Amino acid sequence: MRSTQGSRRDLSVSRWPRTTVLVAGAAVLVSAGFGCRADEPDAAATAHVQKVAVTVCGICHGPRGDSTQPKFPRLAGQNANYLVAQLKGFRAQTRGDPDAISYMWGMASQLDDATIGALAAYYAAQKPPPPGRGGDALVARGREIYGQGVPAQGVPACGSCHGANARGQADFPRLAGQHAQYVLKQLASFQSSMRDIAVMHGVAQNLHLDDMQAVAAYLEAQP
Amino acid sequence: MPGRTMVQATRNLATTAILASALLAAPAALAVPSFARQTGMACEACHTVFPELTHFGRVFKANGYVLSNLKKVRDVSGKKEELLELSQMPPLSVAAQFSYTTMKKAVPDLSDAGAPGVAQQGTIGFPQQFSFFYAGEVAPHFGAMAQLTYDSAAGTIGIDNTDLRFADEMLLPDSGTLTYGLSLNNNPTVQDLWNSTPAWGFPYTASNAAVTPLAVAAISGPYAQDVAGLTGYLYWNESLYAEVGGYRSAQQGVTNALTGAAGPLDGTASNVLTGINPYWRLAYEHDWDRHTLEVGVYGLDFKVYPGGTPSAPSPLLGPTNRFNDVAEDVQYQFIGEEHLFSVLGTHIHESMSLDASFATGASANPSDTLTTTEMAATYYYRRRIGGTVQYFSTTGSTDTALYPATAPGAPGVVTSANGSPDTRGWITELNYLPWLNVKVTLQYTWYSKFNGAGNNYDGVGRNASDNDTLFVVLWFAY
Repeated sequence: MRSTQGSRRDLSVSRWPRTTVLVAGAAVLVSAGFGCRADEPDAAATAHVQKVAVTVCGICHGPRGDSTQPKFPRLAGQNANYLVAQLKGFRAQTRGDPDAISYMWGMASQLDDATIGALAAYYAAQKPPPPGRGGDALVARGREIYGQGVPAQGVPACGSCHGANARGQADFPRLAGQHAQYVLKQLASFQSSMRDIAVMHGVAQNLHLDDMQAVAAYLEAQP
Repeated sequence: MPGRTMVQATRNLATTAILASALLAAPAALAVPSFARQTGMACEACHTVFPELTHFGRVFKANGYVLSNLKKVRDVSGKKEELLELSQMPPLSVAAQFSYTTMKKAVPDLSDAGAPGVAQQGTIGFPQQFSFFYAGEVAPHFGAMAQLTYDSAAGTIGIDNTDLRFADEMLLPDSGTLTYGLSLNNNPTVQDLWNSTPAWGFPYTASNAAVTPLAVAAISGPYAQDVAGLTGYLYWNESLYAEVGGYRSAQQGVTNALTGAAGPLDGTASNVLTGINPYWRLAYEHDWDRHTLEVGVYGLDFKVYPGGTPSAPSPLLGPTNRFNDVAEDVQYQFIGEEHLFSVLGTHIHESMSLDASFATGASANPSDTLTTTEMAATYYYRRRIGGTVQYFSTTGSTDTALYPATAPGAPGVVTSANGSPDTRGWITELNYLPWLNVKVTLQYTWYSKFNGAGNNYDGVGRNASDNDTLFVVLWFAY
């Protein structure tokens, strides 16, 4: 027996009793009596989500979203809106790239909206890891594609949505500092529509593999 | 039971051979889809190809098999204490192996004493092994991987590898983690996180219908399922692992001669641990990019009463045999999108102080040593097709009682003409997985030396290479 605010490896913060569990990410405080202001997330709920992020998500994504394995994306400093949309996409099994199916469909299956919001807030608040280093020529070519697109192939500039410095904006994800291998895999998944995003399919469908490699190397090298 | 069956070897050669082949030749299988059902994650999260664990699989195990993404049935008290948390799906699995084994040269037929008759070549195991698992969360912080196995060699169902765990985790400053836990298990190293230690080491399955060498270290399986151990461990930042604990005899299928009950053990039981005997483990893993590298040490120190049998009891008193095993291990893994490569190696040094056996003539020396080296390299393409090559070597003291010669008129095969345990060879294996929970394995074992020699190792004409074994197995888990 133990308290419901325990430290188990359950992913949801919105376990019983729901009336006292607080929505950390959305900064909605339901319960009074803890001396918190209404715009602060409950400390216990925040601590629980932090523990989930470090001890569960962190096995693959790194304790602060600073994954060292290129198979798993870096989440530190990622746009919270984007993270929420992805976690909901995993939960709804609408994001269909191979690693999403193998790993995240299961991991996200029991997440409630409050936990998703809190996890997204946790990662958005983490300091992005130092950028990786790519080959100079490849990075230069990637910079060109990122900034100007590949007009001859009808590929628009990435920066027009993801921001000039690739740090994301609105619902568009941060790409700066992301593992090149992960970016490359996502571009391939957009191209094949396994990850079925119409806009990105349009962008990626005419990208050649060497272009993808270049833009991925450029992004990994960005702070 | 037989632990060091060879220590008792002079009592009954035929029995020894049967026990050795039944107990030492069939590593238990682990592939447990109930973990996948519980986590909702595919096999590849925890395994390169089953049963080899990935980093995620090691952390999952260290945390007590409890990570769950299933809906729960709950109960709470009026004081908000949780009383029950049950997965809505029980973590049950089955695994089965169907096999064909043939040795290069048939073994003599014992029923045809003195004549040239031989046993049938080619053994079908249908099944060789069939296992039921409870593998998954029991309650918050409590999990189990418990296996019940039908073994075709014994023709019975019995307890197999079992690991019951409690684990929890704390956050350290700077986003560090410290996992701490307890494992209650029945086979030294079955609780270990790497595949470079014996219980889950290569070969992941082997024939139970082949001739196997006389000598094996205490930590490499002879005591599996006949001991119970409680160990405590710390796992710091998913990299530094330290564990210590003790084992005590917990033999299956024995009864107390006086009461007829399932214990306490007496002199009708053999190879009984004197009390609680230590086990220890220290390992460090470094992960970078798509690579992981682990180096570690582990060992045990077992003191054993030879004991006896119901027909020839020997009190659990007086001198003991002591097996002190000190081992090093290394594991490297590269896990790419298409190419997976791993290297597993261990080197086990055993010091034996055979006071009990020497006093009765069951060993020729008061002390012996035994050194085992194994190094395996595995490659898989897209987790579908792959193979392993392993080199293995056992060397040790010559002991004409521990590794006895063929008695006059006896058929040999499981003997050593020169009293040496030295055995050396290679295993090569090809695997095909049409699905990630179905594996077809073609395995061939080559011996260049067996029980002390390459040629005529038993003194009655059998060569080491005559024991070369072809083993084909269909292995599935559901």
